[in-house]
Amino acid sequence: MTLLDIAIPSAPGRVTWNREAIGFVAGFLVLALLPLVFGDSYSRHVLIMIFIYAVVASNWDLSLGYGGVFNFGHLALFGIGVYAYSLLAKVAGVDPWIALFSSGVIATLAAVLVTIPILRLKGIYIILVTFGFAQLVMQVIISQSDLTGGTQGLVRVPGLYVFEHNMIRDGKLAYFYIALALLVASTLFLRLFVRSRAGASIVALRDNEEYAISRGVSLARQRMVTLAASAFFTGIAGAFYAAYQRNASIDVFGMSLATIILSMVLLGGTSTIYGAIIASFVLTVFSEAMADFGAWRPMITALLIIVIMLVYPSGLVGMIRAAWTWVAERVKRPA
Amino acid sequence: MSVFSDIVFGGLFQGSLYAMMAVGLALVWTTIGVFNFSHGVFMMLGAYFAWQLVAFGLPVVIAFPLAVIVMAGAGWILQASVVRPLIGRPNIVLVVVITTLAAGSLIENGALTVWGPRSKQLPSLIEGNTTIAGVGVSLHQIAIIVITPLILAALWSFLNRTRLGLALRAVAQNEDASQLVGLNVTALYGLAFAIAASLAGLAGIFMGGYRFMNPSMGADPLLKALIVVVFGGISSISGPIFAAYLIGFFEAASNYYFGLYWTPALLFLVLIGTLMVRPEGIFAGRSRGLA
Amino acid sequence: MSENPILSVEAVTSGYGRVTVLHDITLEAGRFGNVGLFGPNGHGKTTLLRTISGLVAPKSGRVAFDGKDITGLSARAIVATGLIHVPQGNKLFPDLTIGDCMALGAYSPRARPHEAENREKVVKLFPKLAERWRQRVRTLSGGERQMVSIGTALMSHPRLLILDEPTLGLAPKIKDELCAAVMDISKGGVPLVVVEQDIEFLLELSRQLFLVDHGAVKTEIRPGESLEHSEIMAMYFGH
Repeated sequence: MTLLDIAIPSAPGRVTWNREAIGFVAGFLVLALLPLVFGDSYSRHVLIMIFIYAVVASNWDLSLGYGGVFNFGHLALFGIGVYAYSLLAKVAGVDPWIALFSSGVIATLAAVLVTIPILRLKGIYIILVTFGFAQLVMQVIISQSDLTGGTQGLVRVPGLYVFEHNMIRDGKLAYFYIALALLVASTLFLRLFVRSRAGASIVALRDNEEYAISRGVSLARQRMVTLAASAFFTGIAGAFYAAYQRNASIDVFGMSLATIILSMVLLGGTSTIYGAIIASFVLTVFSEAMADFGAWRPMITALLIIVIMLVYPSGLVGMIRAAWTWVAERVKRPA
Repeated sequence: MSVFSDIVFGGLFQGSLYAMMAVGLALVWTTIGVFNFSHGVFMMLGAYFAWQLVAFGLPVVIAFPLAVIVMAGAGWILQASVVRPLIGRPNIVLVVVITTLAAGSLIENGALTVWGPRSKQLPSLIEGNTTIAGVGVSLHQIAIIVITPLILAALWSFLNRTRLGLALRAVAQNEDASQLVGLNVTALYGLAFAIAASLAGLAGIFMGGYRFMNPSMGADPLLKALIVVVFGGISSISGPIFAAYLIGFFEAASNYYFGLYWTPALLFLVLIGTLMVRPEGIFAGRSRGLA
Repeated sequence: MSENPILSVEAVTSGYGRVTVLHDITLEAGRFGNVGLFGPNGHGKTTLLRTISGLVAPKSGRVAFDGKDITGLSARAIVATGLIHVPQGNKLFPDLTIGDCMALGAYSPRARPHEAENREKVVKLFPKLAERWRQRVRTLSGGERQMVSIGTALMSHPRLLILDEPTLGLAPKIKDELCAAVMDISKGGVPLVVVEQDIEFLLELSRQLFLVDHGAVKTEIRPGESLEHSEIMAMYFGH
């Protein structure tokens, strides 16, 4: 029963490559043109944050949705990216672009490290261990305050540069395009990955572990590959976040950020990659729109998440579908 | 000698708090098969309810038990609103994580709005200090060390010696078969949450008596309870209790020998090591089910 | 025997989620005594029993027990009427002792006053259980677990007992023992509805048989129309 139900929404590659490629290019072209519409730096800032969240959420969808690995340490990989970049670029004086790339590699290595204790674990134990991992990465960072600034975090982290371009006085245009490029690269990577043989084998492993193993899929290796693959762009997103914000803070390990990003994954509908990206837009815009509510904002967001999860089990995809039916009925009736 | 008694005392004290929290998590997991990520928030809420009742002028002997009872209701309501509607969904484990996290965020921010960010403190269970085996300790902490095993023993005998406890253990093992002997499964789910919330609330009251409380005070105990539960195995009640005290002692010893900063990292290393050897926790084999 | 059917299923459609397993199934049971259900695996026998006992809510149709409409009632409410279902398999409560299981069987208020008397019956029927009273179910053999299942159901003071493949996967000797016990229960005055693969046993036990195929009753065999084993086997495989 359960296996069947989980298996239905995610047959890999239902849409042909051509159609997906057209949609992909068109979608990102629209995003690339957004700065023409939104000239102010506040709107561009929101878009940059959306891109970062979208990268983190869609990569989480790879391990959580496709891999079925309940990795609750995903945000720790993001945090590792933040701190790896900050320490490399600020303390070690490494070139920011090299630091950015290295952060992705370091996050990947960290993911491999987390995989070791969870190789033989199932379901809830994976949640617990990875959750513990996230909290303990934070504890280590706090405890090494000489280097990391502890709970104060790090400030004046070097930003990125593009030749001689002035990154500060361009209305965030350069950061916008770097973030977009990051999202494009990450999404392309994720879609290629899930449509590849490796992607098919992790889905097989998720849906019927015994069978997949008996067919020669290695649980340990695939789990490691899945987590490592989901870590690279997450780490880079963390590094970019640090470079963009010019600081590093332990807030990235907090429950509130994890809750928001996880909501994006689940609201979007798991095992879609695109769903998580769309949900990043919806939730972030919604959250920004409620800025006036002050203290009520997190409560309204939480309530919204609960209501959507209760009413639309398959996330925003289900909601959009329901809305479409509703509209279709309204349109039909007068005719 | 004083070092030794320091560690024993610290271990017993921390272990008591961890056990109170972890048992509730394990109880909910074994009965319903979901993980309650608002468990830490329950702890905070229990402390604030108690504080509010004391602020209303109720004496501690009435205010504290009343707060625990109110928490049972809160647990029941949470279960009915964000867990019960999801039962039967294929991805319930994951969805409940997000709904309880969101509910936790809702309650935490609600508490922030109602009671404000300023730290508060509860009266101690017993005022005063004493010296035992060369260690100066507060009577409040002694009371916690004594009361906790009593409560855990009461929980154990409730589960093992009463028909309702039997029903709760049965639901944990086989939901269909439970329905076929006429158990009210939804009510038992509610009961599991109510008991868990009461225990968390009591832990919050204990904590509020010796440390300042704030709306996010439950986050760290939740993390510790998670580690305890991983360590002790989640499919039993006794496993997490043993593990809670073990971790309490480990922390007390590690704090002394390696310092406060390295203890969490060490704990994690030990956790990884344990899980590589025994993936279902160190006490998992000894007893399964709610016993 | 009795005038009215003790259990009647009228045009029930049922299944899981979007999957419909039972299509408009109708049967009346208990007019002539014990009822046997047989048919190929995966054609809805278990779903039918789960629908009758309230584990699965029917999408349409009506189920009545002893003249009372029980359609859509919770499993708990149905247990309270005395309709007791022993599910297939022997998963049970692996970490409860036999004694615990018997106490659970008598959980419903209806069964509580008869607890001591029923316990005596169970112990008499399955003396083995008394020997292992404090042993956990997971440590028992398949046959013993099946005895615990049936014993638990008897503790619920059944007015109608539904057994889903009670002898599935058992060794011949234990199977005989269990069959005899089931016959004893029937002689003790509890009407039975039994799903069973062992046709010999089913023929011996029941006076009315239903062949369930593709989620519907394909053939009903009433008393006096008793069939040979070979004919039934032909029904199984001859479509």
